[in-house]
Amino acid sequence: MRDYWLSKLFFDLQSPALAAEFRADRDKVLARYPLEPAVKDAIARTDVPFLAERTNAYLLRYYFFATGMKDDEFIRKLNHG
Amino acid sequence: MASLVGAFAASHGPLIIREWERVPAEQKKRMSAAYKELGRRLTAAKPDVLIVVSPDHWSNFFLDNYPTVCIGVGATSDGPPEPWMKDFPHRTLAGHPGLAQHLVEQALRAGFEPAVSHHLKLGPRLVHPALAHELSICRRSCRCSSTASSRRCRRWTAAINGERCCARRSRAIASRCASPSSARADCRTRSARRHGRDLRGLRPGDDPPLRPLGAGAHQISRRQATTHGNGSEEVRNWLVAHGAAGGRGFELVDYLPVPTSSSAAALPPGASRGDPPPASGPPVGQRGDSAS
Repeated sequence: MRDYWLSKLFFDLQSPALAAEFRADRDKVLARYPLEPAVKDAIARTDVPFLAERTNAYLLRYYFFATGMKDDEFIRKLNHG
Repeated sequence: MASLVGAFAASHGPLIIREWERVPAEQKKRMSAAYKELGRRLTAAKPDVLIVVSPDHWSNFFLDNYPTVCIGVGATSDGPPEPWMKDFPHRTLAGHPGLAQHLVEQALRAGFEPAVSHHLKLGPRLVHPALAHELSICRRSCRCSSTASSRRCRRWTAAINGERCCARRSRAIASRCASPSSARADCRTRSARRHGRDLRGLRPGDDPPLRPLGAGAHQISRRQATTHGNGSEEVRNWLVAHGAAGGRGFELVDYLPVPTSSSAAALPPGASRGDPPPASGPPVGQRGDSAS
């Protein structure tokens, strides 16, 4: 499935300014997007497999790059949750 | 009157840049040699303008408006926005509005309706600082469901080949992205061998064979994309270069699966200066050309 607003969030976070704002106050940025509660929860829990099912692979990687997650951890979470 | 002096293709995998230091030394050496050979041939062709065809990895377009093909017609474009490209020295790249607009008009005459952008962000797949002028044609991301059939991709540049320029294709044949399915499928030996076979099997006049992807497949299914790797989507981009070169096929310089950079490098140059490509195939619309 493709979650439009989750994808939109990840797309917008390519902006360095918004990414910095997100890292400083995540909830404030998330409030601008009509995300489902389960999606917000997955973001809070860093549930990579859940999010991977709902967006494009590039956007997913950009998002976790913006949050500062290292590649090794990202791949581990992707494969093993 | 412009003339086509060459058609080249190369892997676009972003991790070739980001993970370069982690690539095993022997693979790094071989990739470097292949790229240098491509650079040597490109330099020898002495192009005045590069027409670069590449997917857009979500730098310019989002799901609210995602064109199948977009031609950059602006006087300038932005340099790569990706954080790992911050050391790329050119923040602005010159375009060639006159030639770009001509290609738009040529495409319209040939039955294609490209989107047009007066200002693009050129990601690592699109930036080439060696020349004063470059114009870009973006295709959908390789991990989006493509609306362009492989046959249509080839016909696209064949259609605009009436005005011949130096066309360079900047794409990967097997580049891994961050999804569980593609992580399983890509850059593994079986998948990479299959893509290599696809390339080697592409001969003059083919339209195209791509048998491992399913003969006559106009839309590669999700299952095929996951079992064959991203290259199953991306191989169609190489067909743009194939079409630009008049369908003469590829000369394979090298093919090397590099899992560290999630890519496979295959560098097939086409025509060279003074050696114009043969006439293209039949006009667009014949032989069951499928609409995108």
